[in-house]
Amino acid sequence: MATLTRLWLRWPRGLALGWLAVVVLVAALAPYLPLPYAPAVPDLACVAQPPLGPGAHWLGTNPQGQDVLSNLVFGARTAVVLTVPAAVLAALLGAVLGGAAGFWGNAGRVPAAGGLLAGGAAWWALGGPAAGWALAVAAVGAVGCVAAARGHVRGLPTWPVPLDAVVVSTAAAVDTVPRLVLVVALAAVAQVSLPGLLLVLVLTSWPHPARLVRAQMLQVRALPFVEAARAAGLPAGRVWLRHALPHAVQPLRTALPLSIAGLLALESTLSFLGIGLPPDTASWGRLLASAREAPSAWWVFLFPGACLALTVLSLSALASQNHAPTRKA
Amino acid sequence: MVRTALAVLVLASGLFLLSRADTDTALRLALPNAPDYGGRASASLAQEAAAQTALRQRLGLHLPLFYIGRGVGPASHAVRWQWHGTANQYHLWAGRLLHGDLGTSFRTGAAVAPRLRAALAITLPLTGTAAVLAVVLAFALAQRLAARPRWHAAVRAALAAVQAMPLFMVSLLLLLVFANPEVLAWFPAYGLAQLTATGAAAVGQYLARLVLPIAALTLTALPELTLQLEAALARELRTDYATTARAKGLAESAIIRHHALRNALLPTLTQLVELLPALVAGAVVVEVVFALPGTGRLLAEASAARDYPVLLGGVLLVGAVRSFALLLADLLYFWADPRIRWQP
Repeated sequence: MATLTRLWLRWPRGLALGWLAVVVLVAALAPYLPLPYAPAVPDLACVAQPPLGPGAHWLGTNPQGQDVLSNLVFGARTAVVLTVPAAVLAALLGAVLGGAAGFWGNAGRVPAAGGLLAGGAAWWALGGPAAGWALAVAAVGAVGCVAAARGHVRGLPTWPVPLDAVVVSTAAAVDTVPRLVLVVALAAVAQVSLPGLLLVLVLTSWPHPARLVRAQMLQVRALPFVEAARAAGLPAGRVWLRHALPHAVQPLRTALPLSIAGLLALESTLSFLGIGLPPDTASWGRLLASAREAPSAWWVFLFPGACLALTVLSLSALASQNHAPTRKA
Repeated sequence: MVRTALAVLVLASGLFLLSRADTDTALRLALPNAPDYGGRASASLAQEAAAQTALRQRLGLHLPLFYIGRGVGPASHAVRWQWHGTANQYHLWAGRLLHGDLGTSFRTGAAVAPRLRAALAITLPLTGTAAVLAVVLAFALAQRLAARPRWHAAVRAALAAVQAMPLFMVSLLLLLVFANPEVLAWFPAYGLAQLTATGAAAVGQYLARLVLPIAALTLTALPELTLQLEAALARELRTDYATTARAKGLAESAIIRHHALRNALLPTLTQLVELLPALVAGAVVVEVVFALPGTGRLLAEASAARDYPVLLGGVLLVGAVRSFALLLADLLYFWADPRIRWQP
């Protein structure tokens, strides 16, 4: 599995980008391509047929009689639609949580008024007992918030928020079990669907980017320009978002391609095991799984396997070349 | 260590609450022959409902889920939050868990712990051998590679290529090449179920069936370990003490073995911690491909069948393995780095 090790195979950037562009283009155009067969429809007259045989199965068929080429094309679509959003969303979630945890540490404080407002509103919305009291608490909080915003009152009480401890221990709790096992367990709970699997992947993938951004943020927040921004009197949230965070997310440039590669491997593994995606969804992993039923059908293994390995290699090459300038600097 | 154990418990509790929040599918799958009653639809529906209620009672699913929950109160008929007391599913589950009781399977009604133990008897030799082999091979290979022989570029390229393949692809490739009557039929393809011979022959069959799974696990664990250790060794060989050793006239292999290796080991130990849990996760794939009835396949099947007690037991087991790996890593750091030993 690809992680943050440097890749040693010389796979030029142009080739890597070209291959990834082909995959993305094919994925985007899959419904409009003139494919003679649909991916899920078996052609029972041609079962486990070699490439370029009779019929229009250019890359052959698998033991279920499904066309290999159209499964490759629609498998690319599934892979792109699933892994890229999952990686981006996980990176976003990780950047926000890790960035906030690194910036404020355990010393962050929220105004007590805001806490009262949120707590009272939540109490009322969830239908807890004594709804009148909940509304009263929320009203007190709202008055406090308005007063603080207008600047009438200074020195309102604040509550400490141990943000760093919460984020770090949540990440540790998610990370105690390997991702594959956790996803297998969660996929049983979540509904079998593309959005459900996407949610599961995001929820299990955010700790790694969060940890990277947090570590970087711990360095960035000690730099002079952050201090200068604070000294200029900017509110803390603005300093965090506009000044510190853009620098703290730099490690994600390397981590994002690797994260996509890892998610691609995970997605194909899940499809191979038959977990997570609905059974009629085309996927490289599912196509590879059908190779077990016809050991002599090399084409069922070779084409999706090559696609998968090439994509992972290209993503790793992209990551290592994103990595290179920062190493020299 | 304590923190990890706590984290495992929190995670398992979260999974428990999530899984029990939706038990209808699990119940439907636990009653596989319910729709086969035939005859009049209304009667079969009533029978099915009765069977589900009975099953709910037997599995304790009729109790409220957590200490507090929303429900129809006994006095007023409005839906509101209420306190359920200790007679809830979570309390009973956690209590049994503390006594080492993992509950019973939804599907077979058998206790989970013995099933896990039986599966572990298959998985432990597999993952243990793979872990030892991967570590030993990685050490040997990285030391050779660090001396920059002529073949190091080729080996690195091969390692990178293997790293680009997910585990299931490596296993499939091995299966299709070495256990395929049409290519090389060196090893049996499937399972431990049909062991027919007795005595020494049985041991031989058992070993022959474990060769390919172990090879697949070792191959996928190897590149990461080797490349990491090799990079650390290369870094150490550029330091001043390595130059001094070279100036003393030591051979390069002696410098690597006696001077650089121990310092290069420290960053690799973290990798070793991840190795055991990763191999357990890898067992999920390998056992499905090679049809071995181990914990990994148990987990995959439990996930497909929504058999939550088995699933939770598996997750707890993997968490325990991870805690053990962390403990092992602490001991290894203690052994490898005297600076840690001398800290007050």
